[in-house]
Amino acid sequence: MRSQRLLRRSILWMALGGLGLLLVFPAVAPAQEEVTTSIRRYKDREASTGYYEDYEVKPRRMRPFVGVPGVLRPSFPYSPKTGNIRIRTYLADAHRSVKFYKAQSCVECHAEEARNVHTTRGNITCRQCHGGEPIASIAHYFSPLNPVRRHAYVCSKCHEGSDASFATYVVHEPKPGALETRKTFPSLFYANWFMYLLVVGTLGFFILHTLVWVGKESYHHLREKMQREPEAESPPEKPEAQEPENE
Amino acid sequence: MNDQVRIVRFSIFDRLFHVGIMVTFLTQAVTGMGRLLYSTAWGKGVVNLFGGYEGATTVHNTVGILMIVGFVIHIAYVLAKVEWKSWHRSLFDADSLVPRWADAVHLGQKIRWFVGLGPPPAFDRWTYWEKFDYWAVFWGMPLLGVTGLLLMYPLVTSYFLPGWVLNVLVLFHRAEALLAMLYIFIIHFTIGHFRRGMFPMNECMFAGSVELEEEAKEKPLWIARLQEEGRLEEVMVAGPPHWYRVMYFIFGYTALLTGLYLLFTMIVYRNFIEWH
Ligand code: HEC
Ligand code: HEC
Ligand code: HEC
Repeated sequence: MRSQRLLRRSILWMALGGLGLLLVFPAVAPAQEEVTTSIRRYKDREASTGYYEDYEVKPRRMRPFVGVPGVLRPSFPYSPKTGNIRIRTYLADAHRSVKFYKAQSCVECHAEEARNVHTTRGNITCRQCHGGEPIASIAHYFSPLNPVRRHAYVCSKCHEGSDASFATYVVHEPKPGALETRKTFPSLFYANWFMYLLVVGTLGFFILHTLVWVGKESYHHLREKMQREPEAESPPEKPEAQEPENE
Repeated sequence: MNDQVRIVRFSIFDRLFHVGIMVTFLTQAVTGMGRLLYSTAWGKGVVNLFGGYEGATTVHNTVGILMIVGFVIHIAYVLAKVEWKSWHRSLFDADSLVPRWADAVHLGQKIRWFVGLGPPPAFDRWTYWEKFDYWAVFWGMPLLGVTGLLLMYPLVTSYFLPGWVLNVLVLFHRAEALLAMLYIFIIHFTIGHFRRGMFPMNECMFAGSVELEEEAKEKPLWIARLQEEGRLEEVMVAGPPHWYRVMYFIFGYTALLTGLYLLFTMIVYRNFIEWH
């Protein structure tokens, strides 16, 4: 009897404690987002585009075997939530159905993209360019970073007077030495290998040149010294042993 | 020092240009490295010496413009020194820094000497590595100056060049700067300070003169030529005064240690140095 009451009581306290813990845990929020409720997010999207993709206006339970080519995986496209969206180039929300999106920061998933001067030196956050939730794919028709309006909507916020030419600056540079850069940014690729060969060639040649030179000079100096020392005791017998003074 | 026979090697202008480029180059190296390594604690510390990232950038840009001005003055000076009436002789004789066929021959002889197949080459006034030192800086300056100027005003640049050119310019600027620093801090310093007989310091670029006896061994053809032309007496000078030697030793060693410290930092932080 007693032990049962004890058990019940402890379960009660544990439940209360669990509820208390919920208060202590931080609220779940989309990555780095200032506006957190889903209602606001929906409004944001409505205000920002006023345009709905097909899959956005589909009913919750979709008809099986109906797919959107290029957007939904054809094999088992039950709902946009569970559908694995492979091509994210044209989405209003690039992170639609990306798992654990809300709990992480941008850099945790896009580590490479953090290696750019705006982030590392200018202390600019991702959102200052990519905007609030939802973050559109770059090529989405209404994305602020779409090349047709990038200069006006994003770059000129900070670079006053920037035009379309300025906006062709590649913020997230590809790795200049990588082979695929030859296709995506050929001039960077060739410039990189040109400079690489120049640096390695110049330094390689002259470091070797200097090392051998210093080594050989020291060697000659040592040998002369060792030859001169016995001379002090015995009379000089080998005049031709005198090495030319090498510099 | 004062009882030696000394002959002139560098004019006061040559030496001023050298001191000028030492100061500006090291300033650019320090501010540039601070900016390059800004994501590390070292970079932040260095940049803070100049009042933060913007401060270091301002110093870097200002000193960069100073260097461009100095380079233009240098070109004017060089052009004024050429005797245009006999320009061919003036440009291509042994007193000129213009590369000659003999330099290639000397390099070949030097390599032969390295592998023990012959005597070392006999040099005239300028050796091939001294000429390389000069021309490397001569081409590095416009490359860094032009790319730097274009990057200083990226918006203006994008009005007459496509914006993606800026990515390529950054790469050129960084790679060339890294090359220049590594070359100076490793090779130029070794030749100027740490070669046998040079340690602790090859003073000729500060004193302006060299010891005749030593130079007859280093550059026999030059001395022979001076004797032949009967100009040896003409170029003899007194050695540098003591106070001046003390000054340039302090100055030179400050520069040397700064450079070696930067070299050390580059090695320690090599993984943070981004090429592009
Ligand atoms: C949970 C991991 C995750 C987080 C956190 C995350 N992303 Fe993404 N992001 C992805 C994935 C996966 C894609 C789609 C695949 C792709 O295109 O790389 C994507 C796509 C994108 C795209 C579209 C790329 C295109 O092709 O147009 C942008 C822009 C983007 N993310 C920016 C951000 C920004 C800014 C943040 C921070 C607010 C962020 N992401 C946070 C995983 C994440
Ligand atoms: C200066 C503005 C700017 C900042 C800051 C910025 N981006 Fe971008 N981002 C762009 C632009 C412009 C593009 C389009 C492609 C390009 O230029 O590289 C882009 C493209 C992307 C893409 C698409 C894939 C790619 O690499 O092209 C992802 C993912 C992305 N950004 C993530 C991030 C993350 C994460 C951050 C924060 C660490 C960030 N961005 C910071 C401007 C910015
Ligand atoms: C939130 C403000 C902000 C936005 C938006 C922004 N930039 Fe910048 N940008 C900066 C700052 C700050 C710097 C200076 C960083 C430095 O000195 O290294 C900078 C520097 C640059 C540079 C010079 C880089 C270099 O290596 O010298 C270029 C080019 C550039 N931005 C292009 C762009 C483009 C293109 C866009 C639009 C996609 C953009 N910026 C959007 C703040 C911004």
